Amino acid sequence: MLHALTMPEAFAGTIAMLLIVVQLTLFRSVVIGEFLRVYSLQSWLLAAISLGVGIVEHGWDLIALAVLTVIFKAILLPRYMQWLARGISVRIELPARINVLLSLLMAGALIGVSILTSIQLPLHQGAFLPKADLATTLSMVFLGFLVAILRPNALAQVVAFLTLENGLFFGTITLAPGLPFVIGILLLIDVLIAVVVFAVLVRALVEQQAAVSVSVFERLRG
Amino acid sequence: MNALAWAILAIPFAAVFLSIVFPSRIGRVITAVSGGATAVCIFTEVALSADGRASLDALSALFLLPVAIVYGAVGIYSTWYVRAESIGVDGDERYRREFLALTNGFACAEAIVPLLTNMAGLWVALEVTTIMAALLVRLQGTEASLEAAWKYILITSCGLAIGLVGVVVLYASGVGILGSHYTPDWSSYMAIASKLDSDALRLAFLLALIGFGTKMGLAPMHTWLPDAHGAGPTPTSAMLSGVLLSDALYVIARFAAITNGALGTSVTQHLFFIVGLLSLFVGAFFLLRQRDVKRMLAYSSIEHMGIIACGLAFGTRLAVLGALLHVINHAGTKALAFLSAGRLAARFETREIAGITGGVAAMPVSGTLFALAGLALAGMPPFGTFRSELMVLGGGFSAASWPIAAIVLGLLLVAFAGLVRWTMSVTAGELPSGMHRGEKDIGAISSLLLVFLVVIGLGLFVPAHLAVLLDRASAIVGGRP
Repeated sequence: MLHALTMPEAFAGTIAMLLIVVQLTLFRSVVIGEFLRVYSLQSWLLAAISLGVGIVEHGWDLIALAVLTVIFKAILLPRYMQWLARGISVRIELPARINVLLSLLMAGALIGVSILTSIQLPLHQGAFLPKADLATTLSMVFLGFLVAILRPNALAQVVAFLTLENGLFFGTITLAPGLPFVIGILLLIDVLIAVVVFAVLVRALVEQQAAVSVSVFERLRG
Repeated sequence: MNALAWAILAIPFAAVFLSIVFPSRIGRVITAVSGGATAVCIFTEVALSADGRASLDALSALFLLPVAIVYGAVGIYSTWYVRAESIGVDGDERYRREFLALTNGFACAEAIVPLLTNMAGLWVALEVTTIMAALLVRLQGTEASLEAAWKYILITSCGLAIGLVGVVVLYASGVGILGSHYTPDWSSYMAIASKLDSDALRLAFLLALIGFGTKMGLAPMHTWLPDAHGAGPTPTSAMLSGVLLSDALYVIARFAAITNGALGTSVTQHLFFIVGLLSLFVGAFFLLRQRDVKRMLAYSSIEHMGIIACGLAFGTRLAVLGALLHVINHAGTKALAFLSAGRLAARFETREIAGITGGVAAMPVSGTLFALAGLALAGMPPFGTFRSELMVLGGGFSAASWPIAAIVLGLLLVAFAGLVRWTMSVTAGELPSGMHRGEKDIGAISSLLLVFLVVIGLGLFVPAHLAVLLDRASAIVGGRP
């Protein structure tokens, strides 16, 4: 039965939709700077959700996490990665056979699978965002995978993974708000990925004077 | 957790800092002492658990044993390794200290996993092992190690991301019964298993199997494993294969127990069959075409994870007992194989199978033990792996799923052919010209002999305490704690 949405539900629903729309723009981005801006914008939206859930559930830990999310995920990490990547080619090659339209169709199919999977499950009790939380989480995770698969570019794959992590961040906040320490660990992993993996990768690519293609990582086979 | 359980974590944790502070000649002694002391604490805790005098349940106690066997051996082995294999690497002393500190840290992270029953905490602990392992794999700074570390951290992190969705779905399925803020302890879920939504549980187990199965090296999510095992330092390869894979299995077993308790065993059995057979297939056939001795052992790990998954899939008491015993046997045998292979590779200055011949002639102890480890991995008697594989197959043939047991047997024969061929190629033959015969490194040799005692010992008899734990752990996995 349909019912009028409460203000928190409408707020969370809007943010959830924006999170997916923002992630979809990755399918047409061709420079690493755009990838990083998408990650930053998604992180601002996540902070808003964390703040909303924290206020509704009176969870100070979630409010603190919202602040940390803004500081690290929305501001510091994207700028740091942009600074790291300044010395290398910023263009990201698009796959030869799969154009933007086909990518978006595949993304749409994955979002459909997420919705169909989620509506089977009665996971609505006590959740902040009824009926759409799991669908949004799965969509963001699937879209992160799809971007990583479709872009044969090491830096783009790292950022795609970070947007996938944002999906987990969202899912943990909305579906399991009693697990703030998991969200904290997710934040730490983002920092680690950005600082260690991204930095090591960029250094290796610069040293080897290679293109940013993942083909530099195809020596180990069989 | 009792004081002994805290000691199991505190000893390697303290060793991390001591290895950084002191020079590597002292750090390697600290690591050896830490490995030995941790092993003693674990064996004592496991015995207490079997007697019902520890807070750990049988599944936790059982999965602690690989940590004791492998870290105990690696600690002693490292006294030789940091002197031998780091030569030629830039910044030798720094490399040695980093290696020792990270090895102790990795062991500590690996020991945390079986001590936990909090489902979200398990995910966090596995993430910590990923970070430690990635840092170790890239430590040598070669192009191959960098590539392996890159693949490892991205692929396993993606896997763990899926695993976390499984944890979140499990948590959300309990919200209606336990409230929106509860501790996601395994025992809480077992208490309400029959009230959990069946579709949510199916989805949670599927996500956990894919996610944590990536970390366990199950096909088709196994692609990081041969690279990381092949490119990392030898002691790290032993710890990755012997302990980390079983840690991931421990998390999957906890999920399986909840699912089996709520829905019966058919859901988990079907999924275990799929990944088990695929892993056996990939492991067995890729074994036939290997050129690198460490990558060969890595594919053997995938094969053995397939055997364990198939044992859990058969579901009979004998097969599940065999699968759980195989976790211990695989840990010991693979540690022996990697550590002895590392000795051969150092002497012959190559990991290429074609470049190593006459291993036994050149290194009578390490070469012989590598040959025995290879035969044990192939499933030959009288080693422990023979006993546990026989139990898995016996359980499979006695069940309705005997045609699948026949397929498993066929794939084991393929793997047998590959393992025996390469093992003989490396160890048999005359002493290469210009190479001296013999070996003097007491630390490394004693570590190999200690692990060999486990490998052969578990083939000859199963200690009473272990039998009790296996019995209880199989009941837990079946959802009947």
